[in-house]
Amino acid sequence: MENGFNKRIFVAWLILVAISLVYLWIDHSATHQGIPTASTVVTVVAICFALIKVRIIMREFMEVRGAPRFLRRLTDYWVVLMAIALFGVYFVGIAVA
Amino acid sequence: MRRPALLDDPKRELWLAWYATIAFYTLYTVVFFIITRTQPPGKAWYTPTQVVGWFASRHEGLLIGFGLIFILGGLSATSIALITYSIRRMSVSRVFAYSYLIIYAVSAVPGFLFICVAMTVGAFRPGRDPEILRWIYDLGFLSFSGTMGVFLIGSLIWMVAILLDKNRVFPAWFGYLNLCNALTEVVVAPSWIFHTGVFAWNGVIAWWINVVVFGLYTGAFIFLLRNMILREDFGTGPLPDLLPPEGRGRMLAEFMSP
Amino acid sequence: MTTTERAVSPVPEQSPSEHVPGGRDIWFFVLFESLAFTAYFCVYLFNRTQHEQVFLLGQSHLLLWLGVLETIVLLTSSWAVASCVQDARAGRYDASKREALLTAGFGALFLVLKVIEWVRLIHAGHTFTSSEFFQYFFFLTVIHCIHLLIGFVVLGVLWYQLSDQKRRSQPTVEICATYWHSVDFFWVLIFALLYVVR
Repeated sequence: MENGFNKRIFVAWLILVAISLVYLWIDHSATHQGIPTASTVVTVVAICFALIKVRIIMREFMEVRGAPRFLRRLTDYWVVLMAIALFGVYFVGIAVA
Repeated sequence: MRRPALLDDPKRELWLAWYATIAFYTLYTVVFFIITRTQPPGKAWYTPTQVVGWFASRHEGLLIGFGLIFILGGLSATSIALITYSIRRMSVSRVFAYSYLIIYAVSAVPGFLFICVAMTVGAFRPGRDPEILRWIYDLGFLSFSGTMGVFLIGSLIWMVAILLDKNRVFPAWFGYLNLCNALTEVVVAPSWIFHTGVFAWNGVIAWWINVVVFGLYTGAFIFLLRNMILREDFGTGPLPDLLPPEGRGRMLAEFMSP
Repeated sequence: MTTTERAVSPVPEQSPSEHVPGGRDIWFFVLFESLAFTAYFCVYLFNRTQHEQVFLLGQSHLLLWLGVLETIVLLTSSWAVASCVQDARAGRYDASKREALLTAGFGALFLVLKVIEWVRLIHAGHTFTSSEFFQYFFFLTVIHCIHLLIGFVVLGVLWYQLSDQKRRSQPTVEICATYWHSVDFFWVLIFALLYVVR
């Protein structure tokens, strides 16, 4: 690659931007008559998309894809850990409210 | 009479300072968490009547516990001295060591003396006007939680020294942990504004999460100071590595070694 | 190729290697800070479920498109710094310097958008103390911006490394980039939690 343009991370960027734009659509579908309402589905989907984006950033931008197995595993565990913490707290909170 | 070689070992002095550091932090934890029960902090939203109750339930503890701190608090100097020594051992300019030393020399005042004085004064006369007692209570806790400038700048000085150092006195991950610690000082800043909620001086974010980070940070540097003393060869230039430990500790040690 | 660039065969990206990008130390920092942020997010989410209406009302004052725009800007800056690392590794230092500047530029754009957003909210009467939602909003966005400002210092180090042939150190370049990416993915999470989560 003489000009150094890396197609793979460009595609990764496109996907990340696309997911970001999908948020606009999610929000639109969750807003009734201009008043936002609470929605577990929206929350779960929003957090899932965010964690997917985090994993893409780690794998492609931060070059974890080419890293030793322990780092690939560790970062995946971290994403799972964040998911468990966020969803756990959210659902416990709903139950307690 | 010939002095035994052991007594001439300069590491003995470093070990003395290190054990004194352990003694200080143990004393600190026991006094604050157990004897005086000023940590976890009293609630920031207490009415004057509740503050009177808070002091009443801790009356003897405050006087005895903080009395101990007044006598032995000077031990805090040993950890600062060891850290300053570690910075002097680095390849960076001595300016870093001196700055750290000067900043932390005053750190004992907001770090614990203010709250000790305030709370002992509060406990001294149980019949005090509740409004004045709450004033003293606020003074104690705000000075303890809210005065972060010293520790913020001090952590940054140490961080920069570690990251610039070529003598590998401390590992880079600990340099970055200094940044995490410095940021917790920023996180506690809202405690000056909020009487209730997660940002009050006893709040989940301003206190509980912060104290976990601070505890990990303190544990880390006590451990690393020990490693430094073990590796010290009193020369100039990079410190030698520790001999590889046996067994289970090896993986962790390899990750943590500079 | 110009005289300042030299032909160096790039590290093959497909095959896993022993190379930890930036080294273990910066990853320790990134993962540790992730835990700290996750703790803050958990506190936010829990309190959100306890006071739903207050949070929904506060959130309705945010402009989602502005949040999306900020996210895209920061993602682009991350893309720039990732390209910068690859170009530096391949010896294309002129290109990597350009990309480092782009990274800083997009980072600065993010900051400008954020400040405009804050000013707009404050003028509308929404401040740090005006509602529980805005306590978290300002706390998370400000603490993130502090990380971003530190990121500018880190980019300065990156630039310093790239600008002198004698100084160049690929590990340091990677460390700086890894830090910048962490600022990006913290924002990705903050955006989802503050702007979209219901």
